[in-house]
Amino acid sequence: MQRQSRLEKSFLAILTVVVLLFFMIPLYWLLITSLKYGRDAFALPPQWAFFTPTLKNYTDALANSRSLMYIQNSLIITTGTTLLSLALGVPAGYAIARTRWRLLNSSSFFFLILLMVPPVATLIPFYLVMRDLHLLGTYWAVILLDTAFDASFVVWMMRSYFLDVPQEMEEAALVDGASHFTAFLQVALPLSIPGIISSALYCIIYSWNDFLFALMLTSPKTKTIPLGILASFSAVDISWGQMATLSVFAIIPAVIISLFLNRYFVQGLTMGASKG
Amino acid sequence: MGLNNQLTRTYRRFMMGDGVYLWLLLPLLAFVALIALYPLAFSFGISLFEYRLTDPNQTKTFVGLGNYLKAFADPSIQGSLQATFAFVISTVVVEIAFGLGLALLLSAENFVSQFIRSFLLLPMALPPLVIGLVWKALYNVDFGVIAYYAKLIGWDMGHGALATPGWALPAVVLVDVWEWTPLIMFIFLAGLKSLPTEPYEAARVDGASRWQSFIYLTLPLLRPTLLVALLLRTMQSFKAFDIIYATTAGGPGLETTVLNYQIYKVGLVFFDMGYASALANILLFIVGLLSVIYVMVLERQQL
Amino acid sequence: MKMKLRLAMWFSVLSVLSMVLASCAAPTPAVVVQTQVVVQTQMVPQVQTQVVEKTVVVPQVQTQVVQVTAPPQPTQVTKPYDGVQLSMASMTDQYIQAFRWLLPYFAQQTGIVISIDELGYVDLRQKLVADFVAHTAQYDLMTTDIVWSGEFAANKNTVDLTDLIARDKAEIQPDDILPVMWTEGEYQGRQFAFPLGGYANVLNYRKDLFEAAGLQPPTTQEEMLADAQKLTDAGKGVYGIALLGAGSAGAQDFMVFVQQHGGTILGADGKPKVNTPENVKTLEYFGSLFKYAPPGNADYWWDQRETAFKQGKVAMMEGWSISRNDYEDPNISQVVGKADITKAPVAQGMQPKYGFGGWGIAINADSDKKKQEAAWIFIKWLASPEVQKEWVLHRGPPLRTSTMQDPAIVKALPWMPKLLESFQNGDGNYRPRIPQYSIIEDALGTYVNSFLVGKDTAQSALDKAQAQIEKNWK
Repeated sequence: MQRQSRLEKSFLAILTVVVLLFFMIPLYWLLITSLKYGRDAFALPPQWAFFTPTLKNYTDALANSRSLMYIQNSLIITTGTTLLSLALGVPAGYAIARTRWRLLNSSSFFFLILLMVPPVATLIPFYLVMRDLHLLGTYWAVILLDTAFDASFVVWMMRSYFLDVPQEMEEAALVDGASHFTAFLQVALPLSIPGIISSALYCIIYSWNDFLFALMLTSPKTKTIPLGILASFSAVDISWGQMATLSVFAIIPAVIISLFLNRYFVQGLTMGASKG
Repeated sequence: MGLNNQLTRTYRRFMMGDGVYLWLLLPLLAFVALIALYPLAFSFGISLFEYRLTDPNQTKTFVGLGNYLKAFADPSIQGSLQATFAFVISTVVVEIAFGLGLALLLSAENFVSQFIRSFLLLPMALPPLVIGLVWKALYNVDFGVIAYYAKLIGWDMGHGALATPGWALPAVVLVDVWEWTPLIMFIFLAGLKSLPTEPYEAARVDGASRWQSFIYLTLPLLRPTLLVALLLRTMQSFKAFDIIYATTAGGPGLETTVLNYQIYKVGLVFFDMGYASALANILLFIVGLLSVIYVMVLERQQL
Repeated sequence: MKMKLRLAMWFSVLSVLSMVLASCAAPTPAVVVQTQVVVQTQMVPQVQTQVVEKTVVVPQVQTQVVQVTAPPQPTQVTKPYDGVQLSMASMTDQYIQAFRWLLPYFAQQTGIVISIDELGYVDLRQKLVADFVAHTAQYDLMTTDIVWSGEFAANKNTVDLTDLIARDKAEIQPDDILPVMWTEGEYQGRQFAFPLGGYANVLNYRKDLFEAAGLQPPTTQEEMLADAQKLTDAGKGVYGIALLGAGSAGAQDFMVFVQQHGGTILGADGKPKVNTPENVKTLEYFGSLFKYAPPGNADYWWDQRETAFKQGKVAMMEGWSISRNDYEDPNISQVVGKADITKAPVAQGMQPKYGFGGWGIAINADSDKKKQEAAWIFIKWLASPEVQKEWVLHRGPPLRTSTMQDPAIVKALPWMPKLLESFQNGDGNYRPRIPQYSIIEDALGTYVNSFLVGKDTAQSALDKAQAQIEKNWK
């Protein structure tokens, strides 16, 4: 690329700062609001840096041992959904990518349709089914429905990814006498780990933040973080402190992801790029 | 040729690679069939009935296409469709343009860019409900920071962005842009990284300006990436719900009641399941149609 | 490269594992209520020492003592329902603090353990309806908004308590309970929820601002409009009044004003008729009040209206009596000591009637017999005069005349006598408690807001609302 003039460089720098401010200000606002007393939350002029801080909101939220329960439930449901989605979706993605059988190939469109369905439409009938199976309020109810959608997404991602992975190594293994299954397990799978991680990250983010399914399908004992956040949003008063605290917990997976696994997140999106 | 050969081929397929593939695919297919097929079928079927979930007798009266006709005649549904299209088009166009711009801006491999990119994962990671509530507080014209600073530069925001007809939808679009543009940025970043360098060198040798190489090289090369981003974001945008629920609850009037929100109201507030399912199917049809168009373009691209 | 990848993977696995382990190691939430209270061996029937001499209710009520001590072992008294576990769904209104305070005592006295699930307004209704429709009996007890009375009654979701109330009259002393309270859960002459306590629609006002302007708080609607105008000083950022403008909040505020102007949204046949000439006039009056409200008022829901008052931006605000205490809490209010309440003004010449609302507590018709009986025991316990005193002191809404006249209570909460008057002339029907209420509220919410933002005239807004109601009527 040609060199940038100094004017251009400073212009771009300013632009970067503006962009950064745009994205960071709401987050910063949430953080400082959680550290303020209720009476100061909306005081004008806005106090961005010099205000009376308090940890009261955090101690209130944590003292209520429900917060820990929400976190635990969110963890269980998200882990279950992710593992199940991967277990089902990765092999399926591989199969669709490799097969020359038209029938199997086009089943990927079926999964695409599933992703397009408005969730509300499936929620009520699913709710009734879960009731009949006595699974309402258990972790399974949410995990199963979430997986149906997440796994469809995983299939699409892994399909694109496997299309990118060159087949020579698998063919070499086949020539050496391995079965197709072994070729999948021992050759293709290890090569696709970054893609799997990316799929996992998507599953984690989608199921961690889901609130509609969790609302209808959980019992008081299996409530997740988004529902805990909803509860701090009563008709009378929004408990910003409580909401911010729970949001901070909700955001932890993303922080971990962004700090350490940034590369795989980006890579996961590559696959669609060249093959679609 | 003929039947014998066909059978042999199928046999071969089954016994060799494709058999394994079938087994690898089967668990997911079976799972989805079990979990999702009944709800989907129910949803298609019940749209032909008049059925209120809260009815103690659970009566289901067959009305054929009555629900669909009711939807097409209902002016609030037409308004919903308008709002939906306005919302989807605005969010997708803005996010794609903005996301591409961001990707170009932050594509350098220096520490600063990497640091900023890490932060940009956070908007996506917050529960959309929280995002909606935070922005609602920011937009609040009496206590919010946006109106406060606007007033300082002489801009009186009247009732507030979320309450002023004509401004509410753009305001909600802005919130969605805030939440999802980073995702588009990441998609384009990945695409940019995989671009070959030779064409650019050749272009430089030929004396092309940076702008020219952008228009004639980068954009065409990014087409597949662009299409993936379009598909993903369009599908998601049609399903937007949490943000609207938290910021405007469909108002002012019915201005931000996109179809998905309307379905929620009809289905989970009025519990009119027949009508809600009909609306859901209409939405599904629209999204499906658009996706088919995208995919056809995509397939063409691959040839 | 490979090394880094492996490290990253292990790190994330480890962190996830540690989070899981950490949350597992945390004490599993006991089925007993989540509050942390230091339980005393006997519930003190008299006023607790938390009450201080000033009218400020000490914030101690809100902060939690972090100790968790198990209730002492049950005494020898036989407790027929000992060990029964009930689950209750409760709205996160102020009275939830009273529940948290009282439930351990109840468990201690009867052995019945109630775990409480705290839900916001919208998700409460959805979870309840989902529970009823699927007959899952996830909740045995639930707080039900007065406006849901008809819906749950007609669908037979909650237990008909009429006969039980008659049977246990002596214990309940129904005469001590203000007549208007029974509208919380009444439908077609029978009681499907027991009153939890009343909210009176009152006028909160800033006595400092009124004094400075030399004004008395308004006694009529006309005076209120005039006062709002006099007290508005946009330059200083202070406005006359804060109202509700959006969604179901806007709908409810409009209905309050309809009531205060002597109107009704029901026609003679009991079906809704919202676009009568009187109602149109009332809507126009409502709109004129907005001239003296903060600019963003058209978008206000309940929490924003409260914020406006608590932040000192407005001189007046009609609202539910249960929030009165909030303004004295220095943690959340900027107007401590400056606020007072008075009866909500009605139109000139109208027979005074005051808006009444609140919650009932109901028993799930799908719960099994024993749980229903235990639930009824709880309801009676909660309504008993001794417990009511504790209830009210811990932010519960009042139920009994005797409680509101009790000297110790009046000392701690001096606005009680005014509330009593509001209740005695209370109108619990200004929002029709019929099964189709949500349809009315939704239509009004949309079009009242539409009028307030200038998209419709008062007449066209109400006409459209009426059309939508009729279209969706079942």
